[in-house]
Amino acid sequence: MTKYKLLISIGLLACTQLAISQVKPWPVSPEDAAKVNPVAIELKNLGIGRNVFTRSCVACHGAKADGKGLIQSANLIDAAFQKQSDGVLFFKISTGRDKMPPFNSMLKEEEIWSVVNYLRVLVNRSALPPAKDVKLELSTGDEIKSITAFVHGTDSANLTFQEVEVSFYIKREFGLMRIGESSNLTGADGKVKMVFPEKIIGDAEGNVILLARVENSFIYNDAETEVVRKWGDPLVTEDEKFNQRALWGSRDKSPVWLLLVANGIIAGIWGVILYVIYNLFRIKKAGRIFIE
Amino acid sequence: MTDLYRKEKQHKKEQLQELVADLTSPMNHTNSNFKLWIGFLLVLIAVAGVFYVRQIMQGLGTTDMRDIASWGLYISNFVFLIAVSLVGSLITAILKLSNQQWATPLTRIAEIIAVAALFSALAIIVVDMGRPDRLWHIFVYGRLQSPIVWDILVVNTYLVISLLLLYLPMIPDIALLRKNMGHKPKWQQKMYKTLSLGWQGTEDQFKILNLSMTILMVLIIPVALSIHTVTSWLFASTLRPGWDSTIFGPYFVAGAFMVGAAAVIVTMYIIRVNYKFKEYITDFHFDTMGKLLVLTSLVYLYFNLNEFMVPAYKMKSGESAHILGLLVGDYALMFWLVQILGMILPILLMVFKPFRKPLPLLIISVFIVIGAFFKRYLIVTPTLLHPFLPVQNYPASYHHYSPTASESMIVIGSIAGIALVISLFIKLFPIIPIWETAHEKGFDNEILNNS
Repeated sequence: MTKYKLLISIGLLACTQLAISQVKPWPVSPEDAAKVNPVAIELKNLGIGRNVFTRSCVACHGAKADGKGLIQSANLIDAAFQKQSDGVLFFKISTGRDKMPPFNSMLKEEEIWSVVNYLRVLVNRSALPPAKDVKLELSTGDEIKSITAFVHGTDSANLTFQEVEVSFYIKREFGLMRIGESSNLTGADGKVKMVFPEKIIGDAEGNVILLARVENSFIYNDAETEVVRKWGDPLVTEDEKFNQRALWGSRDKSPVWLLLVANGIIAGIWGVILYVIYNLFRIKKAGRIFIE
Repeated sequence: MTDLYRKEKQHKKEQLQELVADLTSPMNHTNSNFKLWIGFLLVLIAVAGVFYVRQIMQGLGTTDMRDIASWGLYISNFVFLIAVSLVGSLITAILKLSNQQWATPLTRIAEIIAVAALFSALAIIVVDMGRPDRLWHIFVYGRLQSPIVWDILVVNTYLVISLLLLYLPMIPDIALLRKNMGHKPKWQQKMYKTLSLGWQGTEDQFKILNLSMTILMVLIIPVALSIHTVTSWLFASTLRPGWDSTIFGPYFVAGAFMVGAAAVIVTMYIIRVNYKFKEYITDFHFDTMGKLLVLTSLVYLYFNLNEFMVPAYKMKSGESAHILGLLVGDYALMFWLVQILGMILPILLMVFKPFRKPLPLLIISVFIVIGAFFKRYLIVTPTLLHPFLPVQNYPASYHHYSPTASESMIVIGSIAGIALVISLFIKLFPIIPIWETAHEKGFDNEILNNS
């Protein structure tokens, strides 16, 4: 009977963890499978595909599209997946299944096709021309607190590059805070300007680290540069509360009442324990006298 | 007249010799079953050791504990073992101070269970740590404001008091062993000699000993209450559904007295049958322990009613997922098995005298002990899976907890460790106090000192 109960309990424990992860077939009609991708694999479209992927797919499928996102999901870069036709992928992304939502309600058709293209390029970069090296330079205007990124080539020709996407960030304690427009493209002179936002808190002196990046581009290799400006509001910490003695305080800031009560109890009890241990020696002594 | 007196004295002396021989018989007779049993326990401990080495090398990933359920089987086991250890104070202190003489043969059983369970509990806490090499940080950096620090302090204090309360009443017995165990290996004789503290049984010595024991018995009661109250505060001072309760202290203490009494019944049954101690651990002892168990169980039942009825009636939105999970959801089967087989049914049965006979009481107690273990599991784990803040963007596996084989084997190893300590203790020291039994049988100190 005891064994039986134990077995049930263990069985119950086991049941709670059985996550079912079977691969079910996912039928796609021949017409859907035969659809031709109307969007060409071009750099501009790939940018769209990448943005959609980052926004809608990464969470589950992972940044590497290997299916290791927050939940276990399909590996999008393995051979079996890539064997499927563009039409099949379009259908699956559009209609969804189980935890995969139907994206036709959220994305335009071209966007879905662009994501399909992006997935193809992920495993086959050689379809694209090699990326170029760029150099980023930052200059700042102090009167209106603006920052200008200048993108140019690294070789002796020193060409300026236009229509390059530049991302601006401010370094914060644990990460980067994006600033500027959602898209900052360089103009004909290879420059893009961004106005520094108001009310940014810097360090104790008000220094902020500004960062500009060319990143995740199919055309250019990543580049990054940073400058420090005293543009922010100085950081003022109100540590009055933290300097008080309180329950949430650090080790040396325990409340006095707690120190008294806790140490009083500890001293009282251990005093008695030590007295009893002392009595052991007294017992020993009393025996020795008897022998003598 | 003097002749008659001498004759009676001689007779008494023989009787005492018989008593000593009886009570030391487990130490003198070791059969192959015992060696098998020790071997079995050592294998279980070795397996646990291997799993623990693996855990050290690979980290706590070998357990199923993740971000949400960060306490699991280890902490459940810790709470269970602390609960078991509380019985030491119940039997040796509370019953003795209230002049319940019948409990005398059980005091040492209760005290060794307490000590063994405490050692195991301390070990399991270290096992639960991802970085045991940083254990010393708690002493160097620990904040007195944290219940974890209180717990470390109070567990160690209770361990020291329990060890003393195990040792002090044993001193006169060890002095007897020093005289009667001449056939034992040298190291053992040396151990008896050292531990007996040159006990001669003088009036002075008895006076100091009795005083010290009384002091300890009084001292251990508040410490025992605080050890389990503080353990319950580890939970109750954390803002979680199911733990956010003001009666957690008495709720835990009541549960501890119940499982501890059941553990003593299991152990005393095994000792009685194995070493043929029917004469010393009688049916009367089982009957009385049964009554005590009914009492402690009823108190625990009352706390259970409070603990689940009140939140279930209110069904606060933050707590409802947790309460429903226990009453009708994922954990319902375990919950009701624990409540019915581990508490309600035992109470109903033990009210009737036939069920307080040794064997039925043993079976009931085994159910209570197992039920108590899973009860601790139900207190620790389901709560963690239902935090007040919504859980988002976590891998699916974080939403469930079920102990891995590694965790289960390490916990089984920790229980085997307790059994090993008790088994070896029985071979080294008299498990039933000799001089206290002799006193109750009317032998005075003079005879005791000269035997």
